[in-house]
Amino acid sequence: MEFKELPPVKEQIMKCVRCGKCRSVCPVFAEVGNETAAPRGHVFMVQMLRDGKVEPDKAVYDKLSACLMCETCSVNCPSGIDVHELNAAARSYIYEKNPSIAKEFIFDTMWTNPGFLKASTHFMGGLQKLGLQKIARDMGLTRILPGDLPEAEKILTNIPTKSAKTCLPEINKTVGPKKYTIGYFLGCATDLLSPEVAKATIDVLTRNGCEVIIPPGIKCCGLPHIANGKMDTARKLAAHNIKLFNSYNFDYVITDCASCSAALSRKNMEFLFKGLNIEDQAYDFSSRVMDLTSFLINVIDIQIPEVKYDKKVKVTYHDPCHLANAQGITREPRELLKRIPGIEFIEMNNANSCCGGSGTYSVTHYKMSMKILDKKMDNVMETGADKLVTCCPSCMMQLKYGVRRHNWKCQVVHPVVLVSECYQNALIEQGENR
Amino acid sequence: MEQVAIKEELSKMLGQEKVLTENLDLMYYSYDSSFLTKLKPATPDAVVFPRSTEDVQQVMKFAWNNNINIIPRGAGTGETGGCIAIEGGIVMDLSTWSDIEEIDAMNMQVIVRPGVIHADLNNELAKYNLFFPPDPGSSKMCTIGGMVANNASGLRAVKYWSTEPYILGLEVVMPNGEVITTGGMKARTIKNVSGINLTKLMVGSEGILGIITRIRIRCIPKPSARGIAMAVFDNLDDAPATVLEVYQAGILPSGIEILDSSAIHAVNDFKPEINLPNAEAILLFEVDGNPPSVEYEGQVIKEVAGKRAREVEWSTDPVRMTQLWEGRSVTATAAARVRPDGTRIFAGEDISIPISRVADTLRAIRSLGKKYGIQIVNYGHIGDGNVHSAPVINPENPEEVERVLKLVHEIHLLAIEMGGTTTGEHGVGAVRRSYAELEHGLAVEYMKRIKKAFDPHGIMNPGKVF
Repeated sequence: MEFKELPPVKEQIMKCVRCGKCRSVCPVFAEVGNETAAPRGHVFMVQMLRDGKVEPDKAVYDKLSACLMCETCSVNCPSGIDVHELNAAARSYIYEKNPSIAKEFIFDTMWTNPGFLKASTHFMGGLQKLGLQKIARDMGLTRILPGDLPEAEKILTNIPTKSAKTCLPEINKTVGPKKYTIGYFLGCATDLLSPEVAKATIDVLTRNGCEVIIPPGIKCCGLPHIANGKMDTARKLAAHNIKLFNSYNFDYVITDCASCSAALSRKNMEFLFKGLNIEDQAYDFSSRVMDLTSFLINVIDIQIPEVKYDKKVKVTYHDPCHLANAQGITREPRELLKRIPGIEFIEMNNANSCCGGSGTYSVTHYKMSMKILDKKMDNVMETGADKLVTCCPSCMMQLKYGVRRHNWKCQVVHPVVLVSECYQNALIEQGENR
Repeated sequence: MEQVAIKEELSKMLGQEKVLTENLDLMYYSYDSSFLTKLKPATPDAVVFPRSTEDVQQVMKFAWNNNINIIPRGAGTGETGGCIAIEGGIVMDLSTWSDIEEIDAMNMQVIVRPGVIHADLNNELAKYNLFFPPDPGSSKMCTIGGMVANNASGLRAVKYWSTEPYILGLEVVMPNGEVITTGGMKARTIKNVSGINLTKLMVGSEGILGIITRIRIRCIPKPSARGIAMAVFDNLDDAPATVLEVYQAGILPSGIEILDSSAIHAVNDFKPEINLPNAEAILLFEVDGNPPSVEYEGQVIKEVAGKRAREVEWSTDPVRMTQLWEGRSVTATAAARVRPDGTRIFAGEDISIPISRVADTLRAIRSLGKKYGIQIVNYGHIGDGNVHSAPVINPENPEEVERVLKLVHEIHLLAIEMGGTTTGEHGVGAVRRSYAELEHGLAVEYMKRIKKAFDPHGIMNPGKVF
């Protein structure tokens, strides 16, 4: 579809009255402080692109890509403009006009092929142990990877040697009577960087009447591609996943990754496919998609087993942008935490402000990402929490780095891991062995 | 002076980090929230970000010596094109110069630099149980400098008036680079009648006389209690009549807002769950003070409004107050979404008329809307006669644009005819300057002489006010 014909471009640009409310909520604007970083500035620049007043070149791309795509402006916009969609559409348009070999490789080849992505991640893991910076430089990797890799290398956590997919069976039978058949959308980051989250998800779901199937051949949800100007690739990935999951008859498609559930949501499907043939199939698919915490609270109404504890653990929660802003899910993760025995929940200030990770942003815009992270960490540290909980593997990676960067003693963890621990501890208490 | 040379000189003077010179960057400074700049954006030659009075002085002296226009800018939330370089020049972005220099709680004063955000200031003052009462709708993003330059006000102007009475003194960099302090910038007093009141002259001068670099503000104790009354009217005339009767009963609410039938429909279409009563007009009264006085005033309002209103509800319960006020909170948003293929525009949006003429004016605006085939959502601060009309059009349809410009012109003329003014709180800027003669007559000549005395080279924000 032509850039100018895309629904947000066609319908939303004219709605911006440039009231400036977005200036008051944008985490990047708060750091940059000038209009070039204001969300309304991005809307204006997309208009200039549409009207041919500026060329679709790298300079414009750089301005637009300073945006985190955290969607804070979109949810606060009085005119209801999806600023992030306009921005993504414009980035994609500029890329079509300026194909970049480097990003073609990363986002079209590496990040569309699960095997290749896994191999690359493990290769990175190997490099990491040796000190990625020097080797990456020697191999010229810094030229083909986006952004400021040498510094961004620090963000990468210890990459696990085994991905979740290699450890988990395709079909995971329920413990007890079966109530639901679940398709588990195991996202790239959970799979490769946080396999313990995937294991906990399977554990908790199967203990709550769910048979969990991990369809072989799941590909990336496409969100990194949307953020990096590769909308066409995102469409191809989504189309693949839609067909794959629709070939089963799942009651729900569950994901533990905020970015994945946002990418698979009806809203994003409309953005990618509105007016295209696959539209109805996409909506059918997204109607089954649900964030894990929402499923556990709203569908399962999970009752977590009582376990003994010596002393309450202080826990705080960071709202991932793709959960809170993109999907409006803020109550369920907190409710889930409050149902865990032995937890003292402490709400941090500005829990819903971005951590600066935003998928690949911390790699492409390292310095800005760190400024935003430091603000987040100030709020985290103020709570004195022992555990910092969030529902997004990208946020987890960023926050783990934040904890290291500030020498703070705090475990960064997905809530489902804490829930799973309760089940394990209850079993131990009962003297059972699985 | 050539644009390239201007950029080089400014970069040398202030350092690269305080100057924008790339053409692409400058484009972002071609707009504010006015409909004018949606139609005709104007790109400046450079943008500077001063962080000290000396920075401002240097830029001013350079501009003075080279006859370059200077356009001060806050957060760019204005609706008049006031911060736009419509005749070229250097935009001075003061929005991030946001130091609260001193909170003198004992003397109930605060000194700020121009870029402090209104809501941020009040959050700080709240720690001392103080507040700066003018309450613009853009509180979360607008700057104190912008409020002073435009003499802004808002919902609570009924009781607390506009920015002007709270400004005790200013530091101003004059167009030739000299620095003056006015009124109580030096004297730490609340009362001060020494000398010609240049503070009052600067407040609302919209950047055409000098650059305001430091502001001493008088704060007042924060009220401890609040209550909201909603009154629903089947007859439009009963709404302003009730406002006047409430005043006559000796009550001065902090705010009185009106939603006419157009706004009621817009709100209910946007958020059906708010479910405003179907009526010709709804009035919302806000009362603040201490708990017994708030309760007393609320009961009087209920009694007085009850004589004309179909229904009246009074509440001091925080949850219910939020519900009662929600319709007003979302009106601007609802107006923006009333038409899927259009939006509200900021033009003809700020007339101010005598309270006794509000009903006639609203009816006349509805007729004008019919005449030009344009939907208009009307709401505003009826307690002081300030009506916000929101024409809803597709701003990218030239034929609609042509029609709406004619409509807006007639709304402005209507305001003057009703014994009012074209702007109650947003300012004149570039969009309402053509009405200066009609509104002020010979006084405009004296305004021009004052301008000439301050700015003989005419470099301060040209093309604005008159």
